[in-house]
Amino acid sequence: MSFIEIRQLTKQFRQAVKEPGLAGAVKHLFTQKYVDKTAVAGIDLDIEEGETVAYVGPNGAGKSTTIKMLTGILIPSAGTISVGGIDPYRNRMENARTIGAVFGQRTQLWWDIPISETFSLLKDIYEIPDAQYKRNLDQFIELLGMEDFLHLTARKLSLGQRMRADLAAALLHNPRTVYLDEPTIGLDIAVKQRIREFIRASNKEHGTTVMLTTHDLGDIEDLCNRLVIIDQGSLIYDGTLAAVKDRFARERVIHFQLQSADLPALREALDHMPKVTAEKLDRQHVSLRFDRFHITASEVASAVMRCGEVVDFRIDEPGIEHVIKQVYEGHITLDEQHADKETAAGTEASRR
Amino acid sequence: MSIVRSARRTFFLYRRLFGTQLKAILEYQTDFFIMIVSAVLTQMLGIVFLWVVYNRIPDINGWTFWEVVFMYAMIYLTEGFGSLFFEGTWRLGGLVNRGELDVMLLRPVSPILQVLTNGIGMNGIGNIIIGFIMIGQALTKVDLHWSFGKIVIAILLIITAVAIRVSINLAANTSAFWIKNAGNAFPIMIHNLGEFAKYPITIFSMGIQLLVAVLVPFAFVSFFPAYYLFDKTTSPWIWMAPPVAAIYCAAVAYVLFRIGMRKYESAGN
Repeated sequence: MSFIEIRQLTKQFRQAVKEPGLAGAVKHLFTQKYVDKTAVAGIDLDIEEGETVAYVGPNGAGKSTTIKMLTGILIPSAGTISVGGIDPYRNRMENARTIGAVFGQRTQLWWDIPISETFSLLKDIYEIPDAQYKRNLDQFIELLGMEDFLHLTARKLSLGQRMRADLAAALLHNPRTVYLDEPTIGLDIAVKQRIREFIRASNKEHGTTVMLTTHDLGDIEDLCNRLVIIDQGSLIYDGTLAAVKDRFARERVIHFQLQSADLPALREALDHMPKVTAEKLDRQHVSLRFDRFHITASEVASAVMRCGEVVDFRIDEPGIEHVIKQVYEGHITLDEQHADKETAAGTEASRR
Repeated sequence: MSIVRSARRTFFLYRRLFGTQLKAILEYQTDFFIMIVSAVLTQMLGIVFLWVVYNRIPDINGWTFWEVVFMYAMIYLTEGFGSLFFEGTWRLGGLVNRGELDVMLLRPVSPILQVLTNGIGMNGIGNIIIGFIMIGQALTKVDLHWSFGKIVIAILLIITAVAIRVSINLAANTSAFWIKNAGNAFPIMIHNLGEFAKYPITIFSMGIQLLVAVLVPFAFVSFFPAYYLFDKTTSPWIWMAPPVAAIYCAAVAYVLFRIGMRKYESAGN
């Protein structure tokens, strides 16, 4: 049995159907119409202790809803969850002792009291032993650079300060599992780095299981060894980041800097190469987009070299950003079978 | 043993959470003195009205001026305790609608306790002061035979009255789980039913009597305690009714809260 075990998890929300305008609102008072909107549609997921999982998807895909069910905030409409053998909704309090959570959009700090007092209140709430509290607090203050704003109320903090304080507050009791819902949203790069380092350290030192949702691909690349993609309530990918890149980042752009090119000959050559399109084509600069499963970089390069003197060249790999964007937009399916077939075709192409 | 521990821990956490709110309020809310005074003035106006009425008639249905003042005062007092220590009940609607209950559900502390301590109504101090003064006046102006037992019961009745009042507030405010808009018209309506309990319920029609004695039992806050303390009955066990009503109200509020939580849908990120 896995540490976190999710089976056929489903959540439906009831939404009132209101016609626009005042008339619609009045009408709704008498004839109430509802539709069930499925936010999470029967997902299965296993996470082992100590894993760091990026849970990614477009807005409204069901990420936050899943996290809210995992933390016991929402009751699932169907399916089961077990986190370390505990049902998070039924045994919410027991579960709450062993988890920490940060919701980027919402603070857990008491708005009107100094951060240091929030920490001491959390000490009492989680019944953190004195020694552990002191050790963690000292360490967190240093790692997150909180010295400067410890005495301020949450109300007065900047977003970056608030997020650091929130993260510290969520980890003060050494939770076994940490859920982070967009922990770096809207932060500058320095704070992002700090937060990522902090999360990484906690995962390494305590073996904390981390599940994080994000739109920031740097978070995924820096923190997570596993990537789970959800779209429209269903999981569409579960694997490593490297595998996604390997499998689906098929397009490459190769840029050449040329001394002088014989453009008509190059155009002619391009017409004979499958799935190669010119991004830029002039006498000094040539950029070609190609599908690496259909043609190899060396084939493209040699064709160009036949038509001119190459001074320099480089190859751009698409960022994971680009790949995930394509997945969201439905341009590529991460369906397992389909993917295998394509990979097979790709291998064949590169063998050719 | 474990019940004792859990009760102590609940009380400890209540104190910590309440203390936190208090600090926050003292830092930001400097107008609480005005709120206290305005609460006192409002309640004084009610008493003046009552006094004018009693100037014309000697008694209402066998109840004298000071006996009714006692009932008024019980409503003020319980309202005062409710706002000062449990103002959070009135914040439930906002917490639910803005999805702020999320944060409370992440902590290993009863969400009810966290909701109760979510706010402090400083105006409660005014109501408590005026409530105690009037109760003291009423109990001394009426010729009563006090015994040790009766004093203990009188204190118990005040405690249960607060419990009933707060439970009804909480139960009414759980409507936020079902009625999803930001206003709290429904709980305010329920709260205002307490106005009936400022008078001996026997003056009302049967429908209203059932309403405030059974459905929304505000009568156990004021009328039944008065019934016992002013020796209106020969049955010595009538004092047990308010504590029973308190347990009933607390249980209903608890169950409604639990059912409501299943309806809680948070708010989208």
